[in-house]
Amino acid sequence: MSFIQLEQLTKQFHRSNQPAVDALDLSIHKGEIITLLGPSGCGKTTTLRMLAGFEKPSSGVIKIGDQVLHDQTHSTPPEKRGIGMVFQDYALFPHLTIEKNVMFGLNRWRIRERKKRAKEVLELVGLYDYKDRYPNALSGGQQQRIALARALAPKPHVVLLDEPFSNLDAGLREKMRHDIAYILKEANATAVIVSHDQKDAFAVSDRVVVMNEGVIQQIATPRDMYRCPRNCFVAQFVGKTNLLSGTMESDKKHVTTHIGRVCLSEVTDHIEEQVSLSVRPEGCVITENGQGRYSGIVERVMYSGEYQELYVRLSEQEHSQPMVIYAPVEQDIVIDQELSFNIKPELVSLVEH
Amino acid sequence: MKLNKLIVLVGMISTLMLIAGCGADEQDEIVIYSARNEQFVQDLLDQFEEDTDIEVTALHGAEPLQIMEERENVQADVYISNDLGALGYLDQEGLLQGHDFEGIDSIPSDFRASDNAYFAISARARGFIYNEDLIDREDMPTSAEDLFDPEWADVENGYAITRGGNGGMIGHVSALRYEWGDERTAEWIDSIQTNAAGIFEGHGDIRRAVGEGQHAFGLVNNYYFHQQLLEPDNNDVGFIYLDQDEDDMGAVANAAGAGLVNGGPNPENGIAFMEWLLEPENQVQFVGESLELLINAEYGASYPEEVEPHIVPFDELHVQDMPITELGNYFEDTRALIEDSGLDLELR
Amino acid sequence: MRQMMSKIKQHIKTFSQTPFSSAVRQKWLLMWHHNPPGKVLFLIGIAIAFIMAIPLFYVIQRSATAGVDRWMRLLDERIPSLLWNTFSLAFMVTLFAVVIGVSLAWFVNRTNLPGAKYWRWLLALPLVIPPYVGAMTYIIVFGPSSWLRGFFEQSTFLGDYPINIYSFWGVFFTLTMFTYPYVYLIASASLRKMNRNFEEVARSQGLTTSQIFWRVNLPFLRPSIGAGAILVSLYVLSDFGAISMLRYVTFTAAIYYQRAGFDTESASVLSLVLIIATVLILWVEARTKSKSNYYQTSNQFREPEQLSLGRWKWFVTGFVWFIFFVSVILPIGVLIYWSYIGIQHGALDHRFFEFAFNSFRLSSFAAIISMALALPLVYLKARHPSIITGVIDRISYVGYALPGVIIALGFVFVFNNHLPILYNTFYVVAIAFVVRFLPQALQSAEASLNLVSPRVDEAARSLGYPPWKIMYKVIFPTIRPGILAGGALVFVSAIKELPATLMLRPPGFDTLAIRVHYEASEALYHQAAPPALIIVLISLIPLRYLLKKY
Repeated sequence: MSFIQLEQLTKQFHRSNQPAVDALDLSIHKGEIITLLGPSGCGKTTTLRMLAGFEKPSSGVIKIGDQVLHDQTHSTPPEKRGIGMVFQDYALFPHLTIEKNVMFGLNRWRIRERKKRAKEVLELVGLYDYKDRYPNALSGGQQQRIALARALAPKPHVVLLDEPFSNLDAGLREKMRHDIAYILKEANATAVIVSHDQKDAFAVSDRVVVMNEGVIQQIATPRDMYRCPRNCFVAQFVGKTNLLSGTMESDKKHVTTHIGRVCLSEVTDHIEEQVSLSVRPEGCVITENGQGRYSGIVERVMYSGEYQELYVRLSEQEHSQPMVIYAPVEQDIVIDQELSFNIKPELVSLVEH
Repeated sequence: MKLNKLIVLVGMISTLMLIAGCGADEQDEIVIYSARNEQFVQDLLDQFEEDTDIEVTALHGAEPLQIMEERENVQADVYISNDLGALGYLDQEGLLQGHDFEGIDSIPSDFRASDNAYFAISARARGFIYNEDLIDREDMPTSAEDLFDPEWADVENGYAITRGGNGGMIGHVSALRYEWGDERTAEWIDSIQTNAAGIFEGHGDIRRAVGEGQHAFGLVNNYYFHQQLLEPDNNDVGFIYLDQDEDDMGAVANAAGAGLVNGGPNPENGIAFMEWLLEPENQVQFVGESLELLINAEYGASYPEEVEPHIVPFDELHVQDMPITELGNYFEDTRALIEDSGLDLELR
Repeated sequence: MRQMMSKIKQHIKTFSQTPFSSAVRQKWLLMWHHNPPGKVLFLIGIAIAFIMAIPLFYVIQRSATAGVDRWMRLLDERIPSLLWNTFSLAFMVTLFAVVIGVSLAWFVNRTNLPGAKYWRWLLALPLVIPPYVGAMTYIIVFGPSSWLRGFFEQSTFLGDYPINIYSFWGVFFTLTMFTYPYVYLIASASLRKMNRNFEEVARSQGLTTSQIFWRVNLPFLRPSIGAGAILVSLYVLSDFGAISMLRYVTFTAAIYYQRAGFDTESASVLSLVLIIATVLILWVEARTKSKSNYYQTSNQFREPEQLSLGRWKWFVTGFVWFIFFVSVILPIGVLIYWSYIGIQHGALDHRFFEFAFNSFRLSSFAAIISMALALPLVYLKARHPSIITGVIDRISYVGYALPGVIIALGFVFVFNNHLPILYNTFYVVAIAFVVRFLPQALQSAEASLNLVSPRVDEAARSLGYPPWKIMYKVIFPTIRPGILAGGALVFVSAIKELPATLMLRPPGFDTLAIRVHYEASEALYHQAAPPALIIVLISLIPLRYLLKKY
């Protein structure tokens, strides 16, 4: 049973040929955390702002629960939608204390209730001790949590988070991913997050929606998304990948490519003969003894600390792209070394072009 | 933060109080427009307030044309002017209102309107104030006609006149028109405009300029001479009444007085003021610091000792035979004539 | 007017009602970029623009009906000489204000001038002395009955007294002395922001210090010199007090005198010519500005180097002291001396306090109204940009370039004929002040609002607040310092204002400024000095803000 429903949602900006968001359909369950993921200009932020009511859709319908927020004849203003929002720059009110910021949306509640609720959410984000300070006395991560607490305080139907991690530095970012996922789950909130970073998206979301050029490319759990990207765009945008084209064999389980036969994890019902394959770098396992099914020459090694990224030119084809392979850090690999590896079928998927 | 809030609060409260305060004073009041210098009138008005408990709201330096402009929206109860021509003109336009004031008989009929809509209290005559250090009395011009002669432009530091729109100047030109007709008057205006070394906003500026030696002499009313005598320095000045010889036209005179405005907001207080003004001691007060000549000289206006010896009582002067109340007939056309003859009404 | 308002209202209504020709609605939304303001906000904006435009409409309308004769006569006789009087004065004052302002800014900020730290703000002080007060003190000191003249007369060897303060040069000198701080402050700010790297590049290419000044520093300063010069020349065009005291006649003074003689048509014609001239100046400045935009691109800012004055040190110090003496010490000293005499003669009587109260009441009223109007206007401009908002914004800045006499000219007529209830009340004066000084409140509020992200508004909306409530619950408290600073500027400008007060005040309503003007014109300096000194002291209030702003 879907809670939020976007139907054929379209936004055409004035003086632009292409719609920013093109006939988007999406349904979100209650209590779910969804991330809209995509490169800048893909329409994810526009979608979020339409949901919040800050942009007027050109056409389409937005529903929450059994309420229609927007359709052809009617549009609920943002202040009446019951949607909480956390902004990229937090947008805390500089003239109010933390506690007053959090109580800002509770103006219809009774005073005692307000204080109580503020205490609840501030404790949830772990910043109750800071309640009498002003926003400028807080660090970025703390402001982030206050913004979230403020959005959660009036118990909104949905919380929207616009690029919540983009203003944080790397160390804080990782902690905040965990904190936000925890707080949202604890508050039992339905949340829609906008992000351009796949790691952020995967870390906090139940499901991820990848968008490009105003169109949804794939909706899936992070795991499915990574293992089975539906098309080339998703495969490339979500993590690194090797795209191979080839011919489906009659058993519907193997594909002949320029590097040789590649085995799929299971038999498909794919009918076309010409197919594209995505092979994740992690799926390529180097064999110690040179017994691997595929072999090539290492062209380049990039050492990242957690693993080594190898660019391997397979001997069969001189002019094609080299394969990207991850090797464990403990292995000593030098340029021009010959290498052989196998491909795990679980990390191979058929993708649409 | 708290301080800011306080400032805003205090500001708001004070304005509210101010606005409330504005509506509150609905007590007995009178609005007086006055064309005379504030110094000459303020004491008189204070005295009136004290005697009658009627609060006076005064606009000093008010032009008669303001009464004209406000005819649909009358603001003033009384208009005080130092140019009887202006009062006469307003009366002709129906902007003043006659009344049978108590005590009006003390004013000679030459000095009041036939229906008593305005009357004069004090008189002044035109003449030259001159700087005794720069020019000898014998070398001075003695007649308005003398100013046709361009030689007066060559006197050391030259002479000064007021702008054309000055009440005294308008009165003077009106009198000349009565005497000479428009053509000759226009020529006269053209000559003084061309030959004068300085054109000033008002007579006060001229007396100071002459006293300081900026100009040798200036065309003013006699009481400005009296005022300059009172200055602590730069008071070596003399005065020449114009056209005093037997066959001359006589000095151009004008008078200051008050008129009752038609349809003013406080008509009863207007009448009260006019009647109060007619009381002898208040007629004396009206002259006050202006050092003009009281029409009813017998009421005994007192002058400071520096001035006293120089006072020439009005009835001893050879004055032009035009009734001053005639001036009103000339007022409007005179302005146009002055402007057309090349003397600007306002400073340029 | 009421009819027109209700018409506009109806117009708006039809726009916002749904079953209306959707094409028009679409156009309307498009104009606002799909973000139309609320009805109330929009109406407030339109109403303010309407009031602001009254003087302009009136002047144009009256001068159009002035008749060919009057136009011909004015064009033939008055206007050429007025143009020459006005623009020769404006040009000379601006030129010298720029030279003095820039050189002082240079000495103070870039050289080892002794005591530069103090000079930095001391040299801005003439800004707190209204030029008409300055003119009065100069008349006292240099005028024909001054002690200085007496000294000349008595001494045998000095010859004739050479100074005539009532002349072009007297006016020029007075206005230059009290307007150079505009250039000085703006040029100082740019000099402090100028990056040392540029100068070092120039030096490494073999330029000498003076070459660097002409080829690097001066071009960098051009935008700020332009901004300062515009402020100065607009001031000269609008000044009435100093010019009338020194018996000079520019357009503004001529308009005042024409109106005082109730020749409203001629006053309107002259006003229209002045407005056109002002627009031309602004246009020229805008054009040169767009061509000379310099960016300080460097991400690494280093303090500019201090130049040693060397053997010029004493000359420069003398110059700085001279300017400071003439523009600050002398006038203030004269004011204090005459105030002392005045107070001994009982100048601080009940009337004095009544005048002070009138000034205070009028100025605070104008300041509060300006602050109240600034908020919706800047909000409308910042959050709902469109062609209409642009027009409203332009019109609200009308007072920036319109002299007080022209505003008063429009108001006298409109209120006497169409709003007799308000005519001759102090509200008319206050509204005229609002028209004249609202730009100051707007600039200040706008600067604050530009620092507030529109996301803050959206955050408040998502928390259940409608836009009008956001304006006073969130935006107002956030930009309150800016609005209050704007209010303080309006307050001080209003305290000093002269011509509009002279033309619009109700009977019996004198302000401190009016008293200074009147008593000084009667040469009663002991009566004029105390109110003038009070005005100067009040003007000190926002000086700190001004120093920070530039």
